[in-house]
Amino acid sequence: MTDTAVQAAESKFEQALQTLEQAKPFAKSLYQTEVFQRAIDLAHTDEGLDLLKTHAARFDAAGVFSGGPWEDASKLQPGFVGGSLKLKGVNSVVELMSELRMLAIARGEYEHPGVTADEARTFLNEVMALNLNFLFPAETEEARIESGEHLERANRLFRLLSRELSLKAISRKIVEEIDRLTTQRPIMVGRIVNMIRTAEKMLEEDIDADTRSSLEHYVKATGTPTPFSERHSDLRDYGRFLREASEEELLQEAEAFARMMHSTGLVSAYHATFIRHANRKNHDLIAAALGLDDIGRAFLDTQHELVRDMIQVAVTPETCQILYGFAGMLNRGLLSQDALLPSLRRLFEIDIHPDVHKILLSEEHKRSGIGPNAVLLGGTISVLGQPLGVGQGLNPTCQSARAISLWSQHAQNQLLEYIVRAARDNDIDITFEGEVIFSSQLEGGVAEEIHQELDPVSKVLVPHLDKIYNEMMKRTLLRLEDGHKWVNPAFYGEWIQRGFINLVDPLTGAVVNFSAFVKLFYATHHPDYNNGYELIYPNPVGIYITNVSGELLGLHAVSIQRVAKDESGEWRIYFYNPNNDSGQNWGQGIEPSVKGHGEFEGEASLPFAQFVARMYAFHYNPYEQGDTYMVETEIVEEIEKMARESWGVGYTWAL
Amino acid sequence: MEDSILNQGITALLGWSLPVIEAADRMDRPFLVVGPPEFQEFADRNEIAFVAWQFERLNEQSGELAELLEQKGVKLAVPIYEETVEWAGALNARFQKDPRIFNRSLLLRDKGLMKRRAQMAGIKVGVFEEAYNRDDVHRFLKRVNEALIKLDGDINDPVHVKPLSKAGTVGHRLIREAGDIDLIPDEDFPCLIESHLDGQEFSCEVFVHNGKIRFLNITEYVHLGHSNFVPASPELETWRPQIHAAIEKLISAFEIKYGIIHPEYFISPDGTLNFGEVAARIPGGHIFDLIGKAYGFNAYQAQILCSDPDTTEEELKAFFPKEVEDAKGYAGSLMVYPRVRLIQRLNVPTELKNDPYFDRHDMFIPATSKVAERVGFGNHYGTVFFYGDNSARMKELLLQYEDYDFYI
Repeated sequence: MTDTAVQAAESKFEQALQTLEQAKPFAKSLYQTEVFQRAIDLAHTDEGLDLLKTHAARFDAAGVFSGGPWEDASKLQPGFVGGSLKLKGVNSVVELMSELRMLAIARGEYEHPGVTADEARTFLNEVMALNLNFLFPAETEEARIESGEHLERANRLFRLLSRELSLKAISRKIVEEIDRLTTQRPIMVGRIVNMIRTAEKMLEEDIDADTRSSLEHYVKATGTPTPFSERHSDLRDYGRFLREASEEELLQEAEAFARMMHSTGLVSAYHATFIRHANRKNHDLIAAALGLDDIGRAFLDTQHELVRDMIQVAVTPETCQILYGFAGMLNRGLLSQDALLPSLRRLFEIDIHPDVHKILLSEEHKRSGIGPNAVLLGGTISVLGQPLGVGQGLNPTCQSARAISLWSQHAQNQLLEYIVRAARDNDIDITFEGEVIFSSQLEGGVAEEIHQELDPVSKVLVPHLDKIYNEMMKRTLLRLEDGHKWVNPAFYGEWIQRGFINLVDPLTGAVVNFSAFVKLFYATHHPDYNNGYELIYPNPVGIYITNVSGELLGLHAVSIQRVAKDESGEWRIYFYNPNNDSGQNWGQGIEPSVKGHGEFEGEASLPFAQFVARMYAFHYNPYEQGDTYMVETEIVEEIEKMARESWGVGYTWAL
Repeated sequence: MEDSILNQGITALLGWSLPVIEAADRMDRPFLVVGPPEFQEFADRNEIAFVAWQFERLNEQSGELAELLEQKGVKLAVPIYEETVEWAGALNARFQKDPRIFNRSLLLRDKGLMKRRAQMAGIKVGVFEEAYNRDDVHRFLKRVNEALIKLDGDINDPVHVKPLSKAGTVGHRLIREAGDIDLIPDEDFPCLIESHLDGQEFSCEVFVHNGKIRFLNITEYVHLGHSNFVPASPELETWRPQIHAAIEKLISAFEIKYGIIHPEYFISPDGTLNFGEVAARIPGGHIFDLIGKAYGFNAYQAQILCSDPDTTEEELKAFFPKEVEDAKGYAGSLMVYPRVRLIQRLNVPTELKNDPYFDRHDMFIPATSKVAERVGFGNHYGTVFFYGDNSARMKELLLQYEDYDFYI
């Protein structure tokens, strides 16, 4: 909206509010609708919301809340705010106006007989703490499925509240949230960095010591992580320092960078400056600055030239975050694969298709003069170094993200082939049951449009993979069985097991033979029942995503990475969730853990039975199967109860 | 002041309607509301004089209400909706000691009686019959089409069914073939069946005092049940003299003295007027709001004024503006029905919001996203209001957005 449009919207709101103000108490409801409509229009932009705020002291007297649940501010509960804001109907805007009223009370602009300014502030702080997702919109399944104008409006409200209030009271919660997200080591860290930047302001506040030190740590990790970077005001200054620094100082710097990067998964632009300096002057410092282990050091030495060129091309202060993946790639020993080396080198100079060129480069890249090959190479390094850090962003393309992650773990050459093919030709082909499917010849995928908040490799590959996957599924439509049975091995790769089961009958849509489903999974995946066969490759499985009340939100694709006992001896399923935010609450006490139960970087985990209670489809090896009858009835019953009382509510259960 | 209030007596509004209560409240005249008991608490809280009453069928207890109201000093009853028209008739007959007022009100409550009376007065109506069951409808559809010399296989001319005592378009169905007849629910019988009349449909909102037309609004229907605007376009308004005459005929045929009537007509290109039906209540389609927007007077207040025999000529003259001439612009409304079974979101185009004719809308995503099945013309979910100074542009906009999916 232009300024004049915002002003026009405000004057219409003002008129509506005035009409409401003048109405007798009994007639308020006749004029509230118009006020809500105009408030929706006004709250459409940040500026508009700011203007709406300036009227908030009048809301009560005008009768905005008369006759509804929001009438008496002293009776409101912070716990209900988030839920109301998520409603699609009129209530979400009433709730928003109620928060603005509370803010007016907190700011002393409006005196409420039952709520003091302190109480109002406490209320709003609690609301903020309970709803961090509005302040830092998450890329979760829930956020993706339930998107809409009302949610954007709520995000706007929380941005406003964060500017208006001290974040002190919620600082601890924010730090916990940053901990939780960084633990998963995602490739895309924009949201985390935004949270840190927002939370940084809290350092000026009186917050508790633990929170302060954690937060300072994050601020340093993304800012000036080392003793000398702290003393230099900008990168150029720091670059000059590096030229003069002593061996000892440089080694200290290198180790400090490595420590900060590995403790947080976050990288500072100074780190990139340091690495570039080391790359030119003192190659021995690279291993220390990347915190490499013995394997990493070995390949750094043997592939000295390639590494040097990769750093030269791909590592810049703007792309500093790839250093984490760089270290991961070296430590994984991937450079031992002879075939991978020319593939990586090829990325330096392939001609990138103009359409791909466009989607690869951000405005920031263009301003800094970074080319598309550098971005693509950097993205490839990240994916190779952080296979479980691949995320789907806000797209419904969990299958494609899962594919990239699987290839990065077990088929790096294949992945590099696809990347080159897509970047150069803007096309990918995959053979399905003897027929070659070309993505460039297909219209439409699962996603209507691809949301571009993605890592470079996903940006390049996902549009093609999504279309091909969708086409493969279409070709299996009439087979009376879940098409994933055939599509998954063709799409992901030949190591996907041929045995497949889905608990929903595609013909009737009913849940059939649930107990057989559970027993089969135990007999093929649970080490106590499957005769000790280990899971070799990740298993792409389908799960139901449920919200905190256990209500079904939608279907989702994850990979089981491994099955193992945790520190307390409990069997857990460790899995990769392409939404990069695995620690969501799925209801019924099912809360995937991302650390503290033996998870590797990027993994989430759940106790075995809890995971099974959300699963609807999996692959298995029919030749590596234990005895299904050995699975205890109590286990099946417990899982069935959890399933029936959550996602299963919406399904017919066949006998 | 005391005296005049006593003289004036108290006006009883029959039915619960906030816009009417607000209008009465602003008139500085004493009133009370007779309405369903569930509003008692709200009325008490807001100091609205209130008599709780269940308006069902008139029965032996009706006298009880009259006594109760008389005790409270009520001299006049004003009906707010269809179901209270006969109650107002009964009460006013008693207050004004004229039993025929009640009988006249019954004419307006029974669509069969209404048509007969109109026909007997020489008003042009379509062919109609009362139907007590589906067989009656089958026979009527067959006979009408035989009369039109339709052969087997020709497409039938449709007929309309309307429950005898329901308001406006409630239960109104278009019947084209036998299959449509099976869909009529049992509770819609007895009903009126009538032949289809071609021509442009419009309604009039006529404010009558002492048997004379005090203000005649013509509402142009762009599409019945979907869109209308006030005042009518110049093309339709050219027929105003004929319409005026037809309404005078209607008033005398139905012996209407006070209040509002809301007749519907069809007009053929040569100016022939066919009478559809008439009601003595506030019309649907937000027409009173449109009159208010276009003319600047409160139509609810106008109804109360015209219902009161004691209102003076001066008061009436001062109240009403000059028809058409005094309209400040055209006010239109578009009633929106979702065309999806589940409402996901609301889609109000920016283009519409930026149109100079766009006034406001009252659509929200309803709390239950599942859309109720539509019966007859059904209830609309929301309304878009337009306002502007050119009737052609108004019509164009109403037509343009009639097919727009606001709910998706």
